Amino acid sequence: MVSPFAWFKWQALIRDWSVFGQGFANTLLAAALALALALGLGIVFGVFGAAPVKLTRVLNRIYVEFIQNTPLVIQVFFLYNGLPHLGVMLPVLVVGVLGVGVYHGAYIAEVVRAGIQSIHRGQLEAGLSQGFSYVGAMRHIILPQAARVVLPPLTNQAVSLVKNTSVLALIAGGDLMYHADSWSSDTLYYGPAYVLVGVLYLIICYPLATLARNLERRAGVSG
Amino acid sequence: MIRLEGVNKFFGHHHVLKNINLNVKSGEKLVIIGPSGSGKSTLIRSANLLEKPTSGKVIVNGVDITAPKAPVAKVRQSVAMVFQQFNLYPHKTVLENLTLAPVLIKGVPKAEAEESAKAFLERVGLTAKANAYPSQLSGGQQQRVAIARALNMKPQIMLFDEPTSALDPEMIQEVLDVMVDLAHGGITMVVVTHEMGFARQVADRVIFMDEGEIIEQGPPEHFFVNPTHERTKLFLSRILR
Amino acid sequence: MKKKLVAALSLLLVIGLLSGCGAAQTKSGDTGSKDAPDIKAIKDRGVLKVGVKVDVPNFGYKDPKTNKIDGFEVDLAKAIAKKILGNAEKVDLQAVTAKTRGPLLDSGEVDIVAATFTINEERKKSYNFSDPYYTDSVGLLVKKAAGYTGLKDLNGKTIGVAQSSTSKKAIKEAADKLGIKVSFLEFNTYPEIKAALDSGRVDAFSVDKSILSGYLDASTVILPDSFSPQEYGIASKKGNDALAKLVNDTVNEMKKSGEIDNLIKKWSLK
Ligand SMILES: Nc1ncnc2c1ncn2[C@@H]1O[C@H](COP(=O)(O)OP(=O)(O)OP(=O)(O)O)[C@@H](O)[C@H]1O
Ligand SMILES: [Mg+2]
Repeated sequence: MVSPFAWFKWQALIRDWSVFGQGFANTLLAAALALALALGLGIVFGVFGAAPVKLTRVLNRIYVEFIQNTPLVIQVFFLYNGLPHLGVMLPVLVVGVLGVGVYHGAYIAEVVRAGIQSIHRGQLEAGLSQGFSYVGAMRHIILPQAARVVLPPLTNQAVSLVKNTSVLALIAGGDLMYHADSWSSDTLYYGPAYVLVGVLYLIICYPLATLARNLERRAGVSG
Repeated sequence: MIRLEGVNKFFGHHHVLKNINLNVKSGEKLVIIGPSGSGKSTLIRSANLLEKPTSGKVIVNGVDITAPKAPVAKVRQSVAMVFQQFNLYPHKTVLENLTLAPVLIKGVPKAEAEESAKAFLERVGLTAKANAYPSQLSGGQQQRVAIARALNMKPQIMLFDEPTSALDPEMIQEVLDVMVDLAHGGITMVVVTHEMGFARQVADRVIFMDEGEIIEQGPPEHFFVNPTHERTKLFLSRILR
Repeated sequence: MKKKLVAALSLLLVIGLLSGCGAAQTKSGDTGSKDAPDIKAIKDRGVLKVGVKVDVPNFGYKDPKTNKIDGFEVDLAKAIAKKILGNAEKVDLQAVTAKTRGPLLDSGEVDIVAATFTINEERKKSYNFSDPYYTDSVGLLVKKAAGYTGLKDLNGKTIGVAQSSTSKKAIKEAADKLGIKVSFLEFNTYPEIKAALDSGRVDAFSVDKSILSGYLDASTVILPDSFSPQEYGIASKKGNDALAKLVNDTVNEMKKSGEIDNLIKKWSLK
């Protein structure tokens, strides 16, 4: 047989590198925007979940339970193929960012909530007794401490978020995975294509993991 | 300065404060004693609304902070609290612990807040520790920092909830010394403590609480020498033995 | 993490090397004996492993009610099993998609693939193909309400195609000839393209007509245009040359005997 990794297949890959370059750029963009959204949602809903207010805790539960108990693929399909039936046609990148961002936001919310609840109650009381509002005490006293607890699981979330942007491939989203699928199914040279894709995802995820680890170490020293 | 009017507090069915009426005058040093579980912490924490009374009013400087939409956070700026467990901010240095709230809440310029912070650190004898983190300090040092942190808000009232109970015996005195020093200034102080020596030395009035009620109160010379109530006598005999 | 990186890279390298070695070894296969090693392996196993579609009605389709896969290509697979093993029921049918059929062949998970696999020169470099057993052409499924009458009406529109399908190329060439511009979105499975057509993400669904007919419904219509007639062949792994020859012979015998025509009628194709 011809090896899936035959040299001429690599040559074809090099010839068509711009296809992968474009996919890589789209994946980076989608991942960055989705991560920003997920962090924003995660922090807000995490604080909601730990707040002494029933309403916000209920909102937290609805969001988290709904998202965690339905597959990402279904959510993304709904945004892509369901919303248009209701007259809302979101651009495919927005679908990806929204889908992946909202999905991981729910997981980050749980991480943040657990982080907040791991901080001794006296910290909040000290802040409140000094005249901080609840939100102010969260921002300046509780969350910075929770961040340290939360960083390792948060890193995992960020890394799996990057990888999960590959759901865009299922809705012709123009991401790295989509272009790799498209190119390798046209040429059937899937060997080099998926090796390259693996390496490119590694290139995004590895620095992310390193960054988070450094942050963690720095935070560890200062406390 | 602080007035509690008919304050009741329930935790579930547990009636922890029973119709408390209390008036703390400006500059007064009030010491609250009583057996464990009698409601002392709940009472003092009601004074800055860390516990919300089930019924009754808490009036601080003429402002009813139990009213709906009361400016609670604003009032708390002038009512500082020192906790049994210190509750210093572990992610901040000692100096930052002192300046965080003044800068962020009261809008004091940073340089000014640091200057006064250093003055208070000197007063509690911890100038050298300004850049240390709380975890690098002993319990007694942490509590002195907590007192300095409270002072740097320039409060009118200081609340202490058993400030020495979590300390090793050899560290108790250094904290009490700071508190006695404070008492000699004009500030209003409400102190929950088991330190009877301290009560005798600085209190204008001592209150004895039991089972959510104020059983007896009076100036220390009278209170310790000549208690009228059986329960007070029993408690004092146990604690002074 | 650095260690992990190194480990991951070397793993990839090892996979590459292994498959390279595999290629070298199979070349020295002996064809002089009674059964070539590729045929012998199937006989020893006692079952022929065939990759078929499960989502293309009349070709390879798994009925969700009975969980049985049948269709034209399944019957072909059985005929080949009969030829090799003497029993048409000795087939192990495995669901493949356009994306998985190549890798499954390479890894040996399936012996042959009969899954609406279009023969072309590029693909012949990677796999052995039998002579064609069916000729199909690419068509366009559109919404009736859109009022399109042919490809010429689709200027500036988006066409949904399946990954690994040749329809993209066929439509593109036809569009170039007409002097119009169309863009493409690629999906993994046909139902996804149909969903995208229904939701308006794409304006047309383009794939082989035989497949399209399975997705025709009250709101859609197949345009009369036909593009790039294409031939389906049965694929096998390069190196398994005796198997390829046997498959090819079987297909040609079935064509001559009229069996293929009967099957085409049986499955009401054309
Ligand atoms: N958050 C709470 N939920 C339920 N019960 C509580 C809560 N806080 C206090 N209690 C109960 O209220 C009663 C009074 O508690 P409080 O802490 O005011 O007593 P205390 O006089 O300060 O005791 P100690 O000397 O042990 O500190 C106790 O029975 C306690 O168990
Ligand atoms: Mg107490």
